[in-house]
Amino acid sequence: MLAGGAALAPTWADAAEEALFLGARLNRGRFEAAVIDEMGRDRLVLPLEARGHSFAIDPPRRRAVAFARSPGRFAVAFDVDGRDEPVAITAAADRHFHGHGVFTPDGRLMLATENDFEAGRGVVGIYDATDRFCRIGEFPSDGIGPHEAVPLRDGRTICVANGGILTHPDYGRAKLNLATMAPSLAYIDAASGEVVEKAALAPELSRLSIRHMALDAAGHVWFGCQYEGAATDRPPLVGRHRRGREVELFPGPREVLHAMQNYVGSVAVDASGTVLATSSPRGGLIAFWDTESGRCLGRQTLADGCGVAPSARGRVLATSGRGAVVNAGPETERVLTEAGGGAPAWDNHLRRM
Amino acid sequence: MLRNALLCLALACCLPAHAQDAAQTVPPDIGQRVAERYVAPSLAAFSGVTGRLDGKMGELCAAPGDEALEEARATFADTVRAWGPVSMFRFGPLVEENRFEHLFFWPDMRGVTLRQVQGVLADKDESAAAAASLKEKSVALQGLPALEFVLFGSGAEELAGADGAFRCRYGTAIATNLTGRAAELTQAWAPDAPFHSDFTRPAAGNALYRSPGEVAGEVVKALTTGLQFARNAELLPALGANPDKANGKRTPLWRSNLTFDLVGTQIEGMMGLVNAADFKTHLDAAGGAIVDSVLFDLEHALGALEEVGTPAETAFTEAEDRGRISYAGVALEGADHTISEQLSAAIGLTMGFNALDGD
Repeated sequence: MLAGGAALAPTWADAAEEALFLGARLNRGRFEAAVIDEMGRDRLVLPLEARGHSFAIDPPRRRAVAFARSPGRFAVAFDVDGRDEPVAITAAADRHFHGHGVFTPDGRLMLATENDFEAGRGVVGIYDATDRFCRIGEFPSDGIGPHEAVPLRDGRTICVANGGILTHPDYGRAKLNLATMAPSLAYIDAASGEVVEKAALAPELSRLSIRHMALDAAGHVWFGCQYEGAATDRPPLVGRHRRGREVELFPGPREVLHAMQNYVGSVAVDASGTVLATSSPRGGLIAFWDTESGRCLGRQTLADGCGVAPSARGRVLATSGRGAVVNAGPETERVLTEAGGGAPAWDNHLRRM
Repeated sequence: MLRNALLCLALACCLPAHAQDAAQTVPPDIGQRVAERYVAPSLAAFSGVTGRLDGKMGELCAAPGDEALEEARATFADTVRAWGPVSMFRFGPLVEENRFEHLFFWPDMRGVTLRQVQGVLADKDESAAAAASLKEKSVALQGLPALEFVLFGSGAEELAGADGAFRCRYGTAIATNLTGRAAELTQAWAPDAPFHSDFTRPAAGNALYRSPGEVAGEVVKALTTGLQFARNAELLPALGANPDKANGKRTPLWRSNLTFDLVGTQIEGMMGLVNAADFKTHLDAAGGAIVDSVLFDLEHALGALEEVGTPAETAFTEAEDRGRISYAGVALEGADHTISEQLSAAIGLTMGFNALDGD
């Protein structure tokens, strides 16, 4: 009896070792944030007022913040084990969230990419994670349309992808500046807000919006892009930036590049840090890349697949807008939840605790 | 038995990368249908009316008068109504070289059109009054919204007399360039043009479309883009969160009171596009019901806008009309969701809300 009870209620130490994943989804007409395990089973479900996007995650303290998708103005901080009441966070009056954020490693601050829409510039909002997520300041992202942010391993710097696309919430998600886009990667000291390094693409790739990032084993930044230029162009969509060097772009095989339809929706690096996965919901595929050489290792099909998060070595857990949850690697794909049949529709991102 | 199993295995390995294509219920000739039944007639109408507009502007400049001004204005209204359906195939030639923005610069949240057009009129900038040099200028100076200000904005009454000579020549230059862009579009969609053949004959070696599924994907994307544009960029900004925040001057073409003609013809265009694509023929009853549901929402959105009784400038604050516009917004959103969440899956596309409205 006692043993059975213990098995049902794992100790927190056990729980901390278990792989958990976070994703936003649409479930029978309701928007929610869900925590699932490695088999795709629900562990915690949190209602959201509208469509969610990605999460800031604080693994040591077992908590996360779910963000509204751009141009949403709500976020919710919650305990992934459901032990505390969620805390609602509202964007400042003249800002909206872009859907991504990070915690500082000490868990004191939460940083969110935001739009200062009247001025038409990107900022990183600073929230006190020790005091009910009060907004205590901001610093410029040094670009327009900051999207994903990732914390670097030095514990001080965050890298922000300035997608370069100007939007204003009055006009929904309409893109207002395609002719003058200037996407960039900004490395920012999280303590001072100082931009310590900035990387940009060649001028002829000004319409290649850098949006999502992941770090490889060596700590280099890998990114996936969405192209806003002519559909007949086929620019590379996957790149790497090593500090102090030029950005490198990897087109991959022609047929994979065509299939991605100028759009990468999400990126993740596997548990070993050596394999990058890039999803393209437009093409319905996940492509895998060797982070050493930039070589494309293979691909898997997943209709409307977008969420990808590290699983075991060489593998990712991936989710789709059709409700599928799969475990995928360059050579094989294992379906954990079939698409359809009323399964919740997973939104753009899946993140691992 | 074993041989059959091996054969199955071998076939499975040979399946194309887009295995989903196998299960598609996309009309195989969807590109041909859309090009012939929707794009060609829409472009022919737009091309014809821009030419007429150019002519009417020329007549107005040559012999200014109230009647000539009224004729130019009426032809402008016809042009807007012909632009509605054209603006809904926002891919390929219409997005290349920023053609869409040259024809219809919107959203214009900082009022760039008003500022720049007034500047040209105040300075009597001759380089804006010649079609060739106007082409090199800001997109805000050369589309339908710019011409709307020339014909309906403050001071437009001078077009009926000699004082309006410069204004008239500038308006004519805009109309001439609209005619030119319409001709470029028609050429790019002509049966022997590369884009047309890619779109109507999708094949493995094509630069753009390699299967009917990819063409259908473009059509579905055009529909959701059009729905979101009409709702989020044209109607909702003027509606505001409540009547106090409403402002009809934030909607396109309020000066000429053509706002609802614009959105209405765009909705008609979307219905035309759905019908031209002929999704229903290849779907079962459940799939057909999805198409019907999209058309139902579009018809109701259109019906609500047709009932708006006050001019666009005030309609967004008048309680009853405000309700009609809100209702149209909800119906457009419904159609958008049905397309991205259901129609796309029903016709076997890999696209869903991640692909159609990702971030």
